[in-house]
Amino acid sequence: MSNYSIIGKPTVNVDGPAKVTGEAEYTFDITLPNMLYGKLLRSPYPHAKIISIDTSAAEKLPGVKSVITGKDTPGGKYGLWRRFPELCDQEVLATTKTRFIGDPVAAVAAVSEDIAEAALDLINVEYEQLPAVFEPMEAIKDDAPLVQDDCENNINNTRHIEWGDVDEGFKNSDYIREDRFSYAAQSTACMEVHCSVASYDKGTGRLTVWSSTQSPYYLQLGISDALKIREGNIRVIKPHVGGGFGSKNSTMPDSVNAALLSMKTGRPVKITYNREEEFTTTEHRTPTQLALKIGFKKDGTLMAKEAKVITDGGAYTGLGATTLYLTGAYLSFPYNLPNYRYDGVRTYTNKVWSSSVRSFGCISALYATETQMDRAAHDLGISPIEIRRKNAMKSGYEAPGQYKIATSGLPASIDKVEARIKEKWNDLGKDEAVGFTCFAYMCGGIFNWIDTPYAFSGAMVRINNDGMVDLYTQASDIGQGTNTVSVMICAEELGIGMEDIRLHPADTAITPADLGAWASREVMMNGNAIKAAAADAKKRLIEVARMKLGENIVYDLEVKNKRIYLALRPERGFSYYEIVQDAIKLNDGEPIMGTGHYTPHGKGMVSPAFAFGSMAVRVKLDRETGLIEVKDIINAHDCGQIINPLGVRGQVEGSIQLGLGWGLCEEIIFDEKGMVLNPSFVDYKLVRHRDMPTIESIDVHTYEPEGPFGAKEAAEGTVAPTPPAVANAVYKMTGALFNTNVMRPEKVLKAIREAEKKEKSNS
Amino acid sequence: MAGNYRCPCCRKISSEPHDLARHYLGQTDKKHKDWLKTQGVSYAQLITWQITEFGNKGYDTLAEMLEKKAARVE
Repeated sequence: MSNYSIIGKPTVNVDGPAKVTGEAEYTFDITLPNMLYGKLLRSPYPHAKIISIDTSAAEKLPGVKSVITGKDTPGGKYGLWRRFPELCDQEVLATTKTRFIGDPVAAVAAVSEDIAEAALDLINVEYEQLPAVFEPMEAIKDDAPLVQDDCENNINNTRHIEWGDVDEGFKNSDYIREDRFSYAAQSTACMEVHCSVASYDKGTGRLTVWSSTQSPYYLQLGISDALKIREGNIRVIKPHVGGGFGSKNSTMPDSVNAALLSMKTGRPVKITYNREEEFTTTEHRTPTQLALKIGFKKDGTLMAKEAKVITDGGAYTGLGATTLYLTGAYLSFPYNLPNYRYDGVRTYTNKVWSSSVRSFGCISALYATETQMDRAAHDLGISPIEIRRKNAMKSGYEAPGQYKIATSGLPASIDKVEARIKEKWNDLGKDEAVGFTCFAYMCGGIFNWIDTPYAFSGAMVRINNDGMVDLYTQASDIGQGTNTVSVMICAEELGIGMEDIRLHPADTAITPADLGAWASREVMMNGNAIKAAAADAKKRLIEVARMKLGENIVYDLEVKNKRIYLALRPERGFSYYEIVQDAIKLNDGEPIMGTGHYTPHGKGMVSPAFAFGSMAVRVKLDRETGLIEVKDIINAHDCGQIINPLGVRGQVEGSIQLGLGWGLCEEIIFDEKGMVLNPSFVDYKLVRHRDMPTIESIDVHTYEPEGPFGAKEAAEGTVAPTPPAVANAVYKMTGALFNTNVMRPEKVLKAIREAEKKEKSNS
Repeated sequence: MAGNYRCPCCRKISSEPHDLARHYLGQTDKKHKDWLKTQGVSYAQLITWQITEFGNKGYDTLAEMLEKKAARVE
């Protein structure tokens, strides 16, 4: 029985009522007095030299207040990888050449969006088209055109991970197989498009930016670097965000151009992308080619693994270099792996750049790992569940030089899902099968490429005279429920109610720096910072209560249910509110303050902790049409101590939805010139609510010592296991191998025909 | 000759040529790439070997070269 008052209780989102009633304000909703509207002119060519830009006609259009080009920018480049200047490769507006179809070359601010749009047509840009490159293997050739002029061979980033003796491992294997995989780009398809409002105060030289961002701090740094403005003169406020899914970590052209136009005009400027811009010019999931070799003993013991990966990075870095590393890290999960080698290369190409998308690096790795596990199990005559159970990572596992697993609920999750399959799915119909997968996911990254001297997360609490607590955190709620979890953690630690907490989130002027919402880091990192800040303030309250009680110092005090009392004699104590007032008086009239921070230490190079789990899907296949119907899913997730069960359920189901999209239907299609051919929801198919299977979500309880109250991630883990589980079910029924994602019916039929042909020739 | 290996293009020192080769292929600046050209091998070729073939051909080739050409320091 849990001893917590708030943690682990199903809790409605603190901002839920505002959202469902339409009261919640998104950047998209913001209108400031005297505000102008900005639009971006974009390159029609994948690679072109800018000969000249004539803005005179646009400037004369009534209602136009400013037109800027690369010449109006401070110059230089910026990016997320600030420790590595060669990877800071974005410009505010292209100065000498454009690198993909959609690269911005000019920006207009006008009194209305229509006038700004009309002005774009009046800007005359003379281009000289340059040879372009669109495929990674072509891009690294010596004679390939250079996307970034100072990057020979278009090699943006390389990664090598190795431990054990891989060659020896394969030598000692009884069974070795190799498979090659190729994955398409996936859009984040955020409901709220990229949008920023910037307001520059010429008197003070200070800039305020409201933006639909996943990381206010990254955006503050990005704008500072791009526009050469002192960091402290930039205030970034993150209103409610209508989804990010990874595409809102980078500083994007909407923010920096809104800021620059505001500086030029002295008026607030808003730039909102349209849906086509969203599809064609924002960051998407990394297209990846992956070769995987794996070796087993006859009994199914995993001996060695080797992976070779090349990714299509597009024109810029974004968070893509991190994706490359994580692909290598995740390829070593979730099984014991004594010998491992990974080589990855990210290439520049003349396409819109790829970056981080929910489950970044993991989905491409896990799809290969998990489909290969089933193929190996089949060939070795072992059940897919047994081969996983045999090799599953357990608590205490360590990958040399890379990561340490303090807690793994993977073995338990396998048992739980297996038991439920037997109970629930003993009535499989014709052309139905069950696919099984295991997974692991990180709880934030131990990466500081942004080069911050601050802790990875920080928090402050201020306890006021009436007991109301002001909680200041830059934790970024982008729809995943971080606001709620932040309040729950703070309330639990202080022993008070959620109604006693007033949250002040994600405003760089008043909250401590934080790295933002990516790689499922918020609960682990912000949760720890918030818990520490609350504990810091609580310490003051306990000191005062102890003094008032006059008890022996060996007696412990507890704060719970708005009371502070002796742990062993709960009747001896005081009301929280009474102690707060006394504490403030004893503090010379100042409110009680607490600060906390978190930066992972001694946890290797990847993440301070990992969530684990297992998934089974029940799939029905229409052999005539190739249509796959995912009917039911059972998922067991070890996310440590659950903070908010309602939130976990929402995250698990949302992750499955995104995973099904990647596996079954979502694909950004490029033509041979790098143009996106399906930039709308008419032509880009999403998994919708009516397509969703039933989902049974099982909690696998562990207590992660590194996490706040023992918690781990729950936000992304179930994206990745979903597609290979579906592929494994179809493999079981037909023997068809899917080495690409997007299992559209025509591809399914083709794979089935190939499998039948192969079986015929074998027999 | 005993001692550690120093990268011909920067101050990186490694006790083992393979380790130095890993460092080397992780560098994407012109200086490192240019030195390879003077040795008659291209960066692209080494990377291509490393990512298109299983095994460590790219590193092995470079390690062999560095073992012969890299300065040794105590």
